[in-house]
Amino acid sequence: MAPGSKAGWRLDEKITFASERDMPPLAVSLGTMLVNKTGTWRYMRPVYEDKTPPCNHACPAGEKIQGYLELSKAGEFGRAWELIMEDNPLPSVCGRVCYHPCEQACNRSNFDEPLAIHHVERFLGDYGLRKNLKVKREAARSERVAVVGAGPAGLSCAYHLARKGYAVTIYEAQPVAGGMLAVGIPRYRLPRDILEKEIANICSLGVEIKTGIRMGLDIALDDLSGHQAVFIATGQHQSTRLDIPGQEARGVIYGLDLLRDLNLGRSVEMGRRVAVIGGGNTAMDAARSAVRRGAEVTVVYRRSREEMPAIPEEIQEAEEEGIQFLFLSAPKRVLVKNAAVGGLECLKMRLGEPDKSGRRRPIPVDGTEFGLDVDTIIGAIGQEADLSFLPSGIALDRGGIQVDEHGVTARPGTFSGGDVATGAGTVTAAIGSGKKAALAIHSYLSGERMEEAFEPQVVAYEEINLDYFEPAARQAMPRRQITERLGGFVEVNLGYTEAATLTEAQRCFSCGVCNHCDTCWLFCPDVAIAKLDHRDYLINYDYCKGCGVCVEECPRSAISMEEEMRWKK
Amino acid sequence: MVEIRMHGRGGQGAVIASQILAAALFKEGKYVQAFPAFGVERRGAPVTAFLRMDDRKIWLKSEIYEPDHVMVLDAGLIETVDVTAGLKDGGWVIINSEKPPGEFRLSSKYRVATVDASSIAIRHRLGSRTAPIVNTAILGAFARSTGLVGIDAVVEAVKNAVPTNKEANARATREAYDGTRV
Amino acid sequence: MEKVIIGNYAVSYGAQLARVQVIAAYPITPQTQIVEKLAEMCASGELNARFIPVESEHSAMASTIGAAATGARAFTATSSQGLALMHEMIHWAAASRLPIVMANVNRALGPGWSIWADQNDSLSQRDTGWLQFYCESNQEVLDTVLQGYRIAEQVMLPVMINLDGFLLSHTSEPVDIPDQALVDRYLPLARRDLILDPDDPHSFGGLVNPEHYMEMRYKMHQAQLQSKEVAREADAQFKAIFGRSYGSIEGYRLEGAELALVTSGTIASTSRVAVDRLREQGEKVGLLKIRMFRPFPGEEVGELLGGFKKVAVIDRNISFGHGGIFCQELKSALYNLLKRPQVYGYIAGLGGRDVTPQTILDIAELTACRDVPPAEADWIGVKV
Repeated sequence: MAPGSKAGWRLDEKITFASERDMPPLAVSLGTMLVNKTGTWRYMRPVYEDKTPPCNHACPAGEKIQGYLELSKAGEFGRAWELIMEDNPLPSVCGRVCYHPCEQACNRSNFDEPLAIHHVERFLGDYGLRKNLKVKREAARSERVAVVGAGPAGLSCAYHLARKGYAVTIYEAQPVAGGMLAVGIPRYRLPRDILEKEIANICSLGVEIKTGIRMGLDIALDDLSGHQAVFIATGQHQSTRLDIPGQEARGVIYGLDLLRDLNLGRSVEMGRRVAVIGGGNTAMDAARSAVRRGAEVTVVYRRSREEMPAIPEEIQEAEEEGIQFLFLSAPKRVLVKNAAVGGLECLKMRLGEPDKSGRRRPIPVDGTEFGLDVDTIIGAIGQEADLSFLPSGIALDRGGIQVDEHGVTARPGTFSGGDVATGAGTVTAAIGSGKKAALAIHSYLSGERMEEAFEPQVVAYEEINLDYFEPAARQAMPRRQITERLGGFVEVNLGYTEAATLTEAQRCFSCGVCNHCDTCWLFCPDVAIAKLDHRDYLINYDYCKGCGVCVEECPRSAISMEEEMRWKK
Repeated sequence: MVEIRMHGRGGQGAVIASQILAAALFKEGKYVQAFPAFGVERRGAPVTAFLRMDDRKIWLKSEIYEPDHVMVLDAGLIETVDVTAGLKDGGWVIINSEKPPGEFRLSSKYRVATVDASSIAIRHRLGSRTAPIVNTAILGAFARSTGLVGIDAVVEAVKNAVPTNKEANARATREAYDGTRV
Repeated sequence: MEKVIIGNYAVSYGAQLARVQVIAAYPITPQTQIVEKLAEMCASGELNARFIPVESEHSAMASTIGAAATGARAFTATSSQGLALMHEMIHWAAASRLPIVMANVNRALGPGWSIWADQNDSLSQRDTGWLQFYCESNQEVLDTVLQGYRIAEQVMLPVMINLDGFLLSHTSEPVDIPDQALVDRYLPLARRDLILDPDDPHSFGGLVNPEHYMEMRYKMHQAQLQSKEVAREADAQFKAIFGRSYGSIEGYRLEGAELALVTSGTIASTSRVAVDRLREQGEKVGLLKIRMFRPFPGEEVGELLGGFKKVAVIDRNISFGHGGIFCQELKSALYNLLKRPQVYGYIAGLGGRDVTPQTILDIAELTACRDVPPAEADWIGVKV
């Protein structure tokens, strides 16, 4: 043994030499460094801890957006599609019609522009359809579930249950499946074949859809007793009445009716000069559909542009297509001529204090009446659910079915979701509620406990290490020319190419989720991070001094420092 | 102790010549010391190399100011450098030149020898036609004129010192020995 | 085998015979041929060593330290500015107690730029813990490389071997290149303790608190002092095997002398010639050559010079504001003697100024005609 070295030396032992003769000749550790575990110097330790990216958190359908962007970066589009399909059976549809709250949440928007998640999703959905990709199904179960309504909520619930092996039958009142996707959204936004293919994918899992069966008229809810659970997702298909004098006149129609008739190929009576009342997506869809029928269209909205609930792109595209907007204007009465619309009298509004919705309340300004020379008035100020078919025992709340966060109604075995329950009014929220209900139904039928919800740790922009990123422009979505658009109901947006998708996905920060960039591994000054199988990392806490360089440098906040629990053995 | 100074141009091999001569003398039992003028060398610029020989160990570590003999590897240097500076009376001035010794108008205190080392080197393909390497040839003339070293020892030292063309260098040395004019 | 070789090659052959295992060096005039020769030897297989090309002298010493820390016999060489650039690592090598041998070709420091002989480079490293030797012939250079490893590996301190730029580095002299088998007997390779070893990992160079730092320095100092005896033994063994010895100091014709000239390096060599001439003229002058500067052989110097009336120290170096550095060392070594000589300080040969026998004769004469040493050293030949 070397002079001065000492066997059995303990780390916590304070050593004082009585004489220089006992000391080693140079500054050297007494024992082997294998004993001197410098990790004991640590006060806090780094841990790999994936957090929730803001996009994932914002997605009402619960998509793992960061995950499929990461796969898309590598060109793994098939696996990316499978990852979306874990949460959402309608990516091609959502890639077209979702209002993409994920992009509003995207941390990249503080840096340059948000990721075009919506466009990547559409590309992946279309990729799955083009490649005829299929999802897997678990072993068949004996329980049967009935779903009322083949809209996005019903389809989503049926899909998730079918994947778990349940036998599902959907009862749909309309002659086609899809709910609002089929009868509410115009084809120029959502081509019918796309919707049909994604519905066909759901049916390929064994889901049966029975169309033209109206609940309460053709069949009663109680007739579904052959099923062990029922999911009600009948939506909101009744337009809110305008409730102004003259509303009974011929030429006063409603947006949902117009869109349904157009979508189902029924004849539509409409004049040349059209006023659309409302500022939501149905108003935009109605106005843009009317323009495509050759009408001159004016949108009358009682608040200002900032308060419009429609998706900004929709408003922009409507303006491009020549639609006029009258803001801070509300209809006062229909000017009736020979029992038909002869014009519309409006009143100017001003904005007062914010109301419950957070938007500023419109207040009429007396004496500001003015007339609009129109022959058709399309009401699109809201929609309501038809609850007349419901049996007793299902409690109601604010014009819809009362449910808890899992879609459980007051009646055992009966669940509900989508607009009829939540009134949320968006496709993704409906898809998300269908998925949640499916999980609740599975728990109800199998007795398995549902996973407990946890408080997500959403990564904030400030937690991103911007040193690792460079500005990069968002890939533009190619669109059809205006003239081509107005000629009919062809799809406006053409979709990303594979190259554009790859480039766009590269922009993702991968907030809070390790994507194996090796930064921690390269920076660790104690070489205490090992790379397993050339991919995952392992921190050797025997030698990690807790300096925090890995945490500091991690570009995406996927490592956290946590307090040491020394007293816990 | 005998001190020798060699004048040449950078690239002609004066420093190597001093080392070869030192090796030859050492072989014959002399104590030797060889060194260049201390400093930086540039191709074509005048360079100086020195040699000391004695029968006993040489402790002296200073430059040579009063040489016993000088060698001039490039006759053109005589115009620009005082090649006989400090030269002791009776010392040899050995010049690489095709001219006979009498054509050099040096003080009668000195003995002059000439050898056409350039032509000899060119004949034996040492260096190029424009820049022949004359250092091995001039050593033959040194042996012949001063008699301080035997030609066999010089030839052997040449063979040991040069990395290539050993025989050509050896023949050039002997040819210069035979062709020295005094 | 005897060969006529330049001093730089004497260093290279010394390193080769010592079977050094790692060489990390950066070329600098007038040291370059040392590195070139060793690189050739490594390339040709004459020397089985790892040659590490580095980007600076700091890295050269750092690499040498790393190599020595693993227990390898490591070597480097430098000069002047290169040595200065190494400075931080030079401390590190000594305090790490690594038996490195380094050749330093003494060269003046710039600016004004100079490539010629001067000892200020190595003497600037006086207090780093390295042993220092100054040589006066190529043979001594080679022999001291071998002795250097023998001493270094016993006291675990690095050794710096100094040779004057051009005066030795570029001067060819006959050198006896010893037999490898004899060198192997003199200098066996042995495994050392406390080395970097992956199978027994230790941490080196860590924090030492005030409770122990002084003791570590005390031990280094003790090792320096101990190295005097170790060097004596190494020299004696060397004589037994190779027939040559040098001593830490050497007196030359001091018997019966009244004036002792004291100097080092090639000035000592030239001084022998001057002393011979003076003796021929009947002047009672002798020479003391200081070969080992660190540890300073103060007792031996005292023993040899205690009886002298006058001592003249010739320094090829200058400690600005105080004088020649060997002179200061000598004075402090003599100060506590009951009977101590007058010490006359002379500065000569800075930046390669030629020191001839006449220079020495002038110094001897100047010393002889004075009764009291002047307060300041004389600058010989300086144009004032």
